[in-house]
Amino acid sequence: MSAPIVTIRDLHYRYRGQKEFALAGINLDLLRGELLVVMGPSEAGKSTLAATINGLIPHFHKGKLIGEVTVLGRKTVENTVAQMAEIVGMVFQDFEAQLFSTNVELEVAFGPENFAVEREEIGRRINKNLNYVGLDAYRNRVPSTLSGGQKQKLAIASVLALQPTVLVMDEPTTDLDPISKMGIFEITHRLCRRDDLTLMIIEHETEEALFADRVALIKDGKLVKVGPVKEILSDVDLLEELGVMPLGIPKFFKRMGVTKLPLTPDEGVQEFQKTRWKISAPAYQKLVSKEQAELAKLNQPLIQCRNLEHCYTKEVKALNGVSLDIFDGDMVAIVGQNGSGKTTLAKHFNGLLLPTSGQILVNGLPTQDQGVFKLGQKVGYVFQNPDHQIFSETVYDEVAFSPRLRKLAEGEVKQLVKEALEAVGLAGYEEQDPFALTKSGRQRVAVASVLSAKPKVLILDEPTTGLDYAEQRSMMELVRKLNQQGSTIIFVTHHMWVVAEYARRVFVMKDGKIILSGTTRDVFSHTAELRDASLRPPHFVEFSNHFGYTFLTPEEMSTCIEGAQD
Amino acid sequence: MDAEVYLDNKSFIHRLDPRTKITTFLLTFVAILLFEDPFWMLPVAFLIVLQLVVSRSLINFRRIRYILIVLMISSLVLWNVFSRGVTPLFWIFTVESFYFSIARSLLMILMISAGMILISTTRNEELVLGMIRMGMPYRVAFAISTALRLVPTIAASILTISQAQRSRGLDLDSGNLIERVRKFLPLLVPVFISTIRNTNIFSMALESKGFGAREKRTFFLKLEMRTADYFVVAFAIVFVVASLAFSAMGYGRIIGLTRF
Repeated sequence: MSAPIVTIRDLHYRYRGQKEFALAGINLDLLRGELLVVMGPSEAGKSTLAATINGLIPHFHKGKLIGEVTVLGRKTVENTVAQMAEIVGMVFQDFEAQLFSTNVELEVAFGPENFAVEREEIGRRINKNLNYVGLDAYRNRVPSTLSGGQKQKLAIASVLALQPTVLVMDEPTTDLDPISKMGIFEITHRLCRRDDLTLMIIEHETEEALFADRVALIKDGKLVKVGPVKEILSDVDLLEELGVMPLGIPKFFKRMGVTKLPLTPDEGVQEFQKTRWKISAPAYQKLVSKEQAELAKLNQPLIQCRNLEHCYTKEVKALNGVSLDIFDGDMVAIVGQNGSGKTTLAKHFNGLLLPTSGQILVNGLPTQDQGVFKLGQKVGYVFQNPDHQIFSETVYDEVAFSPRLRKLAEGEVKQLVKEALEAVGLAGYEEQDPFALTKSGRQRVAVASVLSAKPKVLILDEPTTGLDYAEQRSMMELVRKLNQQGSTIIFVTHHMWVVAEYARRVFVMKDGKIILSGTTRDVFSHTAELRDASLRPPHFVEFSNHFGYTFLTPEEMSTCIEGAQD
Repeated sequence: MDAEVYLDNKSFIHRLDPRTKITTFLLTFVAILLFEDPFWMLPVAFLIVLQLVVSRSLINFRRIRYILIVLMISSLVLWNVFSRGVTPLFWIFTVESFYFSIARSLLMILMISAGMILISTTRNEELVLGMIRMGMPYRVAFAISTALRLVPTIAASILTISQAQRSRGLDLDSGNLIERVRKFLPLLVPVFISTIRNTNIFSMALESKGFGAREKRTFFLKLEMRTADYFVVAFAIVFVVASLAFSAMGYGRIIGLTRF
């Protein structure tokens, strides 16, 4: 075996002004040509670790560094980030902020230019790398007009143009929709087959870690476990404990008492056929009819759309004839790729956008006649990024913002804030600075600050994006609880497992139209239509579809199995 | 929303070398600063309107029309306060000071227009390279272009943030002046924070791509002065020399105007 490309020895790092070490004794080697996926909960130190590889730590983020990182014999402490750029490429999560050129070609040229590469050679590298990521046709476009996935592809191409030996990607797909994610994964799969490139990817989606050579789990700045992908992903309990999403298929088989766990849907089907298990049709039928009965109880229409159309510019219809009913007490997911019109539709529900033609009624009245200010009391809207709305010095003031604007007495405001904070599990945080909270904490403050207006309907735009698995679960448990207490919930999401486990009904959007709708189970059984909308059910649901039944969770499926030993 | 200022048209002006455009931009400033009388500014105004039409960059004016109107009205009033003529019109206004205020408003609009034409028709990178070829250090040129680049990003985040706050019941369109100013706080704080965050990532990405790794760097873009460029620069120089001559001969003044 050849010498490792990257060696990390006894690495400790503390951000300036912090008491705790973000990295506390990491020892890790990256081997030539391998793909290492790093997983772990939020605040575990994943991004910090990534930033040490190309020297952003300690040169950009000043702080206390002990131990050392060496890449191809170069110590990061002794080289500037710019000098390291020749051998270590870095792709960031935020695809907007890392691009700075006004033209796709020039974006790719920027890196080589800095290293005084000859003009002709830069031209060759532009061609080669744009071709590699499939952006050939876009070479003269302005990057800001590209889709999120294309921007991230461009970011990858611009880093590859430097011909690095190591490529570090910090959650490259977290902010992307499913189809763009697939595009990026397709590129990383090709990249990891190249043996001249060593890859380290920080990833939240366990289904994507399947392609790795090794997986490293970290928590509290320490390596919990490093090993071959199969070994790590089979350790369902450890993943769950760390707040990393375990795969549904091994989870199911573990529940059924199998010891050698399959990981992928194909492996799952094979393993299932080896057993003498049978899925009980009557038990499944019972499951479905229970669901139907619950749905039948919802019959008060709250939001009604009829042939809704919306145009931002004359040429493109962002919504093209949407008709739907959302009932009081419902829990609805809206899914589809970026640009399919999900958010445009959701912004009609609280009057932020008004229809170009067609009609939308909330509580029986057209939204045009009610206005955002009045509608905001009935329909709360939680935006995707909590940092786009938090501005107060204390959590209390932030949550009190909406009731105060509505000129309520301070006593009443206090009561509303108390209830809202209790609902999101932040009671006792009143005097804290919201900016000092974690992302998931800020997300909760954002939800509370909308809840304090006591809306009947709560719209959440990507409530789970940027959170780790445990945080996603607790966020969605909170949303479910609100729903059980009577709120109507509408959420827009890219996370299919969240839809599978939490939504009651689903609307699938494509090109401004609803192409599929129904109960979650029903929608996830229509794999072909979903694929048409560039969506895919979670691995586990796909696995159960193989047997002609649609199960949404491993727990559900295990109750319908006949012929198991226990 | 498309927040980009650069317009990707392929007009005659777009195809000019950035050095030509920077030169004419600077010369335009000289030409419009020479005269007090608005009539003498009309030739420059005509040339600028011509450029706006040819480069199809009028659309960018729609975005800043309110700012322009406010600036214009305040300038029309203020220059009457800061200058005095001899023929009374009404209140503090005199015929001479009124002409002068029109000239100054025109000056401001024309300066903004000239700048607008430059950045609507020139890519950031071309501007940087143009400035470098004209002798500016790379880092300074890059800083200027980064500042320009930030404008659309900030505009986009203002839009999202104002939607988020409006959903929470913020009503920016009512109340007296002080109330309205206070209402901007919920917008300003998130805008600042997201801008700081973005610039942070921006500079990390910059360093990670080797910004400043070598003393010398190469440029993929190639600048080339064509016949049209020499023609335009020559025309601009002749125009400015003529303006200077007319101004030296005493044309374009407003007789009886006192500026404070």
